[in-house]
Amino acid sequence: MEVKDIKIKGISYDEFKDNDSLEKYVEELRANGVGIITGVLDDIINWGRSNSLWPLTFATSCCGIEFMAVGAARYDFARFGFEVTRNSPRQADVIIVAGTIVDKMAPVLKRLYDQMAEPKYVIAMGSCAISGGPFCNSYCVVNGVDEFLPVDVYVPGCPPKPEALLYGMMQLQRKVKMERFMFKDKEVKENE
Amino acid sequence: MDYAYFLVTLITAIVLVIGGLGLALLISPRSNNPQKREAYESGIPTRGTSWMQFRVGYYLYAILYLMFDVETVFLFPWAVVVRDLSISGLVSILFFLLILVLGLAYAWKKGALEWK
Amino acid sequence: MENIKELILAKVSDAVIEDKQYLTVTVKPEDLRTLAKMLRYDEGFDYLIQLTGVDYGDSLGVVYLLAKSEDMAVCIVIKTATADKENPTLPTVSDMWKAANWNEREVYDYFGVIFINHPDMRHLFLTERWKGYPLRKDYDAGRDVNPLDLKSYDMSDTTVSYVSEGDGIKKIEKNLFEEEDYVVNIGPQHPATHGVLHFRTALDGEIIKKIDANCGYIHRGVEKLCEGLTYPQSLHFTDRLDYLSAHIYRHGLCMCVEKAAGIEVPERAEVIRTIMDELQRIDSHLIAWSCMCQDMSALTAFIYGMRDREKILDIFEETGGGRLIQNYNVIGGVMADIHPNFVQRVKDFIPVMRKGLKEYHQLYTGNVIARERMIGVGVMSKETAIAYGVTGPAARASGVHCDLRKIAPYAAYDKVEFKEIIRMEGDSMARYMNRLDEIEESLHIIEQLIDNIPEGDFCAKTKAIIKLPEGEYFQRVEGGRGEWGVYILSKGDKTPYRMKFRSPCMTLVNAMDTISRGGKIADLITIGGSMDYIIPDIDR
Repeated sequence: MEVKDIKIKGISYDEFKDNDSLEKYVEELRANGVGIITGVLDDIINWGRSNSLWPLTFATSCCGIEFMAVGAARYDFARFGFEVTRNSPRQADVIIVAGTIVDKMAPVLKRLYDQMAEPKYVIAMGSCAISGGPFCNSYCVVNGVDEFLPVDVYVPGCPPKPEALLYGMMQLQRKVKMERFMFKDKEVKENE
Repeated sequence: MDYAYFLVTLITAIVLVIGGLGLALLISPRSNNPQKREAYESGIPTRGTSWMQFRVGYYLYAILYLMFDVETVFLFPWAVVVRDLSISGLVSILFFLLILVLGLAYAWKKGALEWK
Repeated sequence: MENIKELILAKVSDAVIEDKQYLTVTVKPEDLRTLAKMLRYDEGFDYLIQLTGVDYGDSLGVVYLLAKSEDMAVCIVIKTATADKENPTLPTVSDMWKAANWNEREVYDYFGVIFINHPDMRHLFLTERWKGYPLRKDYDAGRDVNPLDLKSYDMSDTTVSYVSEGDGIKKIEKNLFEEEDYVVNIGPQHPATHGVLHFRTALDGEIIKKIDANCGYIHRGVEKLCEGLTYPQSLHFTDRLDYLSAHIYRHGLCMCVEKAAGIEVPERAEVIRTIMDELQRIDSHLIAWSCMCQDMSALTAFIYGMRDREKILDIFEETGGGRLIQNYNVIGGVMADIHPNFVQRVKDFIPVMRKGLKEYHQLYTGNVIARERMIGVGVMSKETAIAYGVTGPAARASGVHCDLRKIAPYAAYDKVEFKEIIRMEGDSMARYMNRLDEIEESLHIIEQLIDNIPEGDFCAKTKAIIKLPEGEYFQRVEGGRGEWGVYILSKGDKTPYRMKFRSPCMTLVNAMDTISRGGKIADLITIGGSMDYIIPDIDR
């Protein structure tokens, strides 16, 4: 499958910023060999998966309000397939960590992430989730949620504008379109 | 009676269910960790057990619902053959409904529909 | 207030009385309760606004700011300190002012001071296993002392209380919940808690028996961070406390520093600040309305409210550069002059908002389900509101006159005419209607000011490094949810020695247990939505 086939409506491939990591991933896949039929099936499954990622309702502080604004009428994320935010982690696909994570909240977030069903993705929204943000020198703030969660997309800003969050969600959709699931080793190793 | 429609519905249902579950078995990744099996309670471990004395109000609501659901189930076959039964059928079903409405009126009067 | 001095000296002979920004009385810990009782019951100081812990170096002390509920502009400050830093103890005042309950737990959290006879001496913000007391000056903030622990622990069901017995102090354990209670976590991750607040709710079927609110899930240690930053730098945190009253809080801290440093703010800046404050208040009340209706499953109301809010955010973005966090007020004025389109945009917005308000009433207020869910639910009496120190639209719905814009006007509020919205019922419907009526009043204020913005500078010239003279400074402003306050203790440096923010939302959550008992869980959601708290404001 050619990398140029990852189509997101409305933005051409060249306007995306981070195309290098995607192209590297495609090279790895090609080296391992992907059959024609399974490639097509994977495309269909990935198309379905990337266009219906449902986020978990998770917001700790200010970025949560921008997340709500992205869900509201002007910057609607339902048109991208992030239709409803599910309140229960069992039904959610992606967790958008919006807001600062502090020491008391970290076990709660880890538990929520563990209770989500595969396949699951993490978007770190806002500078607090990426690196601690303005509070990075504090005695009880976790400096970035990637200390204990595997993050797929980082969306910088304080808070990021809704357009920035939508761009981040589209990057995640492109990443999902790259995945391979047919006849692959199913057991995902959990990192403790 | 034309049973072909019924057969088609049955087969579609079985195919859809097995197809959905089978596809999920084939393509979904799986992972396991201890927290997955625990109950979800907003991210906090649960406290205590749930095997305890429950309020009888829940039982009342459930029983009332069950009664009227079964009544509806009985109304469906009558509705299918209502044209053939004409007036006598109508009168019999009205008797049936009257008994159940009396039960509802009793429950209403006794306050089973309020939550206390 | 002159006879107050004689009365105090008559009761407590070795009290030290100073005339600073407010009348300040310093007493020894043994006389604290005598003085407090006199002020509370004889003189009518029944509103505890602020309770701040301070580490003076050789002693640990507490500063109380009290006001009278009949006239919230009359304030008095009490100070006390204990020199024992190994086992510091002070008498509690939580039986006289219920607001002191959580505030004293916060002082215990930050400094380790144990309050004798406090019913519930637990950590408020930090985890139960935290070592050390963060706001003491000799605290070691290293990560090896308190490492990040990802394991979830069960929360304890007991609390401790230290009572005085004879000459000593006895520690007794009390149960928060009984063994057979059914306790549900309405937890940090929940769409209806407006942030990360954790309610442990003891239920009897659907009826709530007791709520134990746990905060601290967004405790970022802002007050400790401010001690290491200069005043212009610490302004950035005020935007992020209650992010829906960002302008107002930043305005409050700017005013405190300006008054202390003697900086005169030009009139143009005052009027711009007032207009921005009122726009921010409309924005905040719109979100409050949207989220409250969404919690009661009226999703359309959420979409409508956010749609109108986007118009305000456009105005903010054009002038200030940010939608949610604007960074617009600075010490001395505002950061940049208003955009040339500003006046026209605001004038276009006002009729749109008025039409929106009519739509909201048509959409939700008259709905029979909404009325059944809100009328008579979560009644907060005037005494409860005063005891817990509640302010803002929630207290004004219970009949308390606490609008600081009227009582102690600042910026351009003394030049405009507006009503203070007071209702007496105190239920969720009253709080809901208060917010919508306050939007109308804010529009009225903006209308009076928007055509008369005076010409002039938008910012006064200030020194590059701002040092406040030694002393204590208080400032109170009316935020979207109530009275927000700042306390700065300065030792003459460019960084504050102690900076404390008085949180209005802490009082709202403190009162939740009292007003929700006996209601159903669905009522808890309605009450929470109508009280409208923002959690980062509590946890700072």
